[in-house]
Amino acid sequence: MFSKKMVIIVGAVALIVVNIIILSVNSSRYSSYGSGRTAIFFIAPFQKTVTKSVQFFKNIWGHYFFLVSVAKENDNLKKAINQATDKNNKYREVEISNFRLRNLLNFRKTMTNKVLVAEVVGQDPSPWFKTIIIDKGKSDGVEKGLPVVVPEGIAGQIIDISRNYSKVLLIIDRNSAVDALVQRTRARGLIKGQSDGRCLSKYVLRKHDVKVGDTVVSSGLDGVFPKGLRVGCVTEIVKRNSGIFQEVTVTPYVNFEKLEEVLVVLGSPKHDFVSKQ
Amino acid sequence: MTYCFYVCVCFCLVIFQTTIIPHIPLFNNFYDLLIPFIIYLGLFRPAHEGILFILALGFLMDNLSGGPFGLYLTTYFWLFIVVKLVIQYLHARNNILLLFIIVAGVLMENIIFIAGVSMSDPDSQFFAITIRTVVFQILWAGCTGFFFITFLNHIHKKLEKWFNGLIAEKS
Repeated sequence: MFSKKMVIIVGAVALIVVNIIILSVNSSRYSSYGSGRTAIFFIAPFQKTVTKSVQFFKNIWGHYFFLVSVAKENDNLKKAINQATDKNNKYREVEISNFRLRNLLNFRKTMTNKVLVAEVVGQDPSPWFKTIIIDKGKSDGVEKGLPVVVPEGIAGQIIDISRNYSKVLLIIDRNSAVDALVQRTRARGLIKGQSDGRCLSKYVLRKHDVKVGDTVVSSGLDGVFPKGLRVGCVTEIVKRNSGIFQEVTVTPYVNFEKLEEVLVVLGSPKHDFVSKQ
Repeated sequence: MTYCFYVCVCFCLVIFQTTIIPHIPLFNNFYDLLIPFIIYLGLFRPAHEGILFILALGFLMDNLSGGPFGLYLTTYFWLFIVVKLVIQYLHARNNILLLFIIVAGVLMENIIFIAGVSMSDPDSQFFAITIRTVVFQILWAGCTGFFFITFLNHIHKKLEKWFNGLIAEKS
């Protein structure tokens, strides 16, 4: 009744329709019918092994071979950071020295005498003596006995000169002496260096009013330091039961440990003794 | 060659002592680095080789320092003499004795300096800071002086060996 060809075509169409129906039914809900478990049971261990191996090699690549390039990149970044830090440090140093030199320049403008900027190149080899070596000497017009100052106050005095360098005796050295006055009361004394980095104002009369915190300035009477330059502040006063003098300890305003640039005051201080009569 | 070595070592030590050490707060009270060098000359080198050099060194240091002139000259000269005398009676190449000599040398320099300061300024007062300075110098010398001398001796011997080899090769 039906040809063989016709049966095949109808069978195929029916199969397609059934297939579509099954697919449409299965797509709406999950079902494994137990076979999935078996498949997983057999396949998963191998999958795991392969996956682990892949992961292992991937890790090796990622954490070792790949790290070579990361290490290189890291090195480059480190170099860049170092350069940036170095540059930053240089800028900071320039900024600090700019501030210091501006300070020095401002102070220089206030000085009536001609001054010469010098750099500290060395310090005394012994802790018992307080001298520094500066990079200005005879060829720059420096002479023995000239005062050396910084914006904070008096630093010292030239005691030795060579052609291009000079030795400065700091006021904290035991051999140094500066004639000074207490700014507030004009009490006179002789500032002498002590071994602890401070100074002692000697021969200050007991009757004179001196208080802790008073500023001490140069009197100009020693013929070395110009009058009115700051020396330090009074930090201790000892009045003994006997004697006509009081011991006044003066802490210098200058930080001698951080001395980098100084000003040499050229020419002897000019005393203006012209009377106003 | 030997004198060249002495000059180089002294130059480096003086520069280091006057420019670098003052900027390191830890080394505020460091001892005179030339003391171990003088002790080394006294212990390991003949007198005629060292004496002139020591006098020149003392002269140089006196010029660099702000102290009374002759303090370093005196210190170095007498230290050298004392060391030379000591090794006549004691086996000073012994390590413990070497340590003792270094400490004694630093102490001797400090005593001479304090005496010098007292002479130049009889009114000067010595505070606790003076004792602290001396103690710290001695401690530093005790800790580092021995190694310093050993290092100097080693370097000098190596240099001498190298130089002698060079001369032998050329001849």
